[in-house]
Amino acid sequence: MITKIILEQIEGEASLYFDMKENIVDFVTIAFPHFRGMEKMLEGKNALDALVITPRVCGICGHSHLLASVRAIEDAYKNSGFAIAVTKKASKVRELTLILELIQNHLKWIYLVLVPHLKELSGSEELLNTPLKGAYGASLATKILAIFAGQWPHSSYMIPGGITSDFTYVDLTKAKSHLQKLTEYFETETLGVSVEEFLSFESCKDFVSIESDFAKIEQLLIDSGMQKKGHAKDAFLSIGIHEFSHAAKVKGTKLFKVASKYVQTQDAYAPDEKSYAKNALYKNQFYETGPLARCMAKEFKLIKNIHRRFKDSAYTRVMARIYETAHLLVFCKKLLAEIDIGDKSCVESVPLKNISGVGEGVVEAPRGSLIHRVEIKEGIIKSYKIITPTQYNIASSTKENPSPAQQAMINLSQADAKFIFRTFDVCSVCTTH
Amino acid sequence: MHSKQEHKLKIFWLQGLTCNGNAHSFLNLDYLGELLEKIEFLQHPLLPSKYSLSEMAKCKTSCDILIFEGAYDSSLKRTGIFVDKILRYYAKNAKYIIAVGTCASFGGIFKTTSPQTNSGILFNEDKISGPLEEHHAKIINLSGCPVHPEWLGFTLNMIIDRNKVVLDAEHRPQELYSSLVHHGCTRNEYFEWKVDANHFGEKEGCLFYKQGCRAPMTHGSCNTILWNGVNSKTRSGTPCFGCTESDFPRANFFETKTNMSIPADAPVGVSKRAYLTLTGIAKTFHIKRLEEPLIDYKNNT
Repeated sequence: MITKIILEQIEGEASLYFDMKENIVDFVTIAFPHFRGMEKMLEGKNALDALVITPRVCGICGHSHLLASVRAIEDAYKNSGFAIAVTKKASKVRELTLILELIQNHLKWIYLVLVPHLKELSGSEELLNTPLKGAYGASLATKILAIFAGQWPHSSYMIPGGITSDFTYVDLTKAKSHLQKLTEYFETETLGVSVEEFLSFESCKDFVSIESDFAKIEQLLIDSGMQKKGHAKDAFLSIGIHEFSHAAKVKGTKLFKVASKYVQTQDAYAPDEKSYAKNALYKNQFYETGPLARCMAKEFKLIKNIHRRFKDSAYTRVMARIYETAHLLVFCKKLLAEIDIGDKSCVESVPLKNISGVGEGVVEAPRGSLIHRVEIKEGIIKSYKIITPTQYNIASSTKENPSPAQQAMINLSQADAKFIFRTFDVCSVCTTH
Repeated sequence: MHSKQEHKLKIFWLQGLTCNGNAHSFLNLDYLGELLEKIEFLQHPLLPSKYSLSEMAKCKTSCDILIFEGAYDSSLKRTGIFVDKILRYYAKNAKYIIAVGTCASFGGIFKTTSPQTNSGILFNEDKISGPLEEHHAKIINLSGCPVHPEWLGFTLNMIIDRNKVVLDAEHRPQELYSSLVHHGCTRNEYFEWKVDANHFGEKEGCLFYKQGCRAPMTHGSCNTILWNGVNSKTRSGTPCFGCTESDFPRANFFETKTNMSIPADAPVGVSKRAYLTLTGIAKTFHIKRLEEPLIDYKNNT
């Protein structure tokens, strides 16, 4: 029998159609019911308008859309014979503010999604529901972001040629101080050890001496058997080019070259409800994208070790997101130290009306690889296509060829399946742009 | 403790067609913890809530304040129920209805794709013809894409403290929207003397003349109540896109429409003639200090 469950608080909602056999999930399809038409909205517009409109695809990862958009437009410049060489300063600041968006996302996910649902699943009294920890940490991250980008959410400070902001040492000093505060907050409130020590861990045996929210989460995941559940495709994609990550296709632990041109979309298989989501595939195969994919591509020892024992279980997926948060905090510090304030923020480029051609921007967004593809004619957008991380992870396909999330939910109780669904950090609004 | 709980204002945060940006912006509020002591979310899209949205959609309870985020779309369902039905049901008994963001206030971004069907809850762009017209007296619009967290924090605290929120003609609190975004901009001196920014990425120059800045035509307190407590678009070199106004989103955001190289739109309340005269005079002066970089990092080390 098919039962419909609507899951809320996933940046919108999704309908899950469970086919249950003796209280075990035999199969599940997923539908995203809302349509917003962002791609159509862009057609016929000045290409730079995409920098204002696409961040508004999503309230939690709009900055990633901004970077994807500016990269797509700059790629179109290049393909039209007017390549733009962005300064080191601009590219480092773009990287920095993107990372800060990832951090705010992960902190909110830990305290607004993971903790309450892990409590619900396990019935634990010990782990406390503290949403304000997530909100406070995230607001510190966005404060640093706004020092450079003007505001968060919905900044448009990246433009072809660089960034609009011409910050001073006063701003940099403030940013460094807030970052220090945020890092200490994460160490004290979440990890229970310094980020450096956490990043030096090689195996989950190193967690034993820690007492913290992290330790409680880790223990509850083990107690709930999440190291044995939630396995997806054991195949990962990290496509965006960044300093903090490594672009690769990963199968098991083997790394391969990756090229965004192989990413295509197809209609979702959702027989019980009209879904506005499309599935994203790489060479016609499903892959998982997001923090676990990035940690596998970057070959972090701890995550590789956890993967060796538990493969791509829900436990591994959660550990990767927390590990990535620590990694990103340290990386922010490095970036802030490297910024040369005397560099230009924005270099000159030819007028947009000279640009005719296609362009692609690929970015590692909080939840995985994000692609923007644009076709420009004399500065005007002819077509625009957005492929978001949730389209890979939460694709809805057939029983013979399930998507990562579908595969991860099969053969479990419905309660486990619902929890595991959320370990992918689902974004409904991005999916139904 | 029990009686205190009962006096907490009950809030229902309902969403139409949205990006979730207002819900996320609200989480940046500096005094979120203190505020949450004084209110109770029956339902919020991100924060722990007394009821799930499915439970609220059954329309069996009531709220003191109804917050609506996103554009109104009569065909939209949430948890399988028409948002129109949920919205009208809770609007009836709510003491206040707050439209957060420009979509809920005027239609905004998510009116663009379906202009025939989508609107704000009271206004459809600048006309009062939204679905909650009959409740106009209790509707407060907090436009902005997204809403500034402090604008919402202020409004909720005014209601909690039983203070009257004085509104403008578009139902926005005068305290927040009576001045222009231009007010408090760090580039004001360049505006006074009509010195434009030569290109993006410089702290010098005004963005009004070439880069499309709408701050002199836009109501809002972005440059006095700073974003994330630290900055604003114009301070960081990005033009204001006029996101608090009913005609947002306009087009060609990074260009100023000009007539004979003077901006086609004059600041709110200033006659074109007065503006042209003033500009003509100001432009005859050359103020060297304003035409040079403020700080020279490369040559003064």
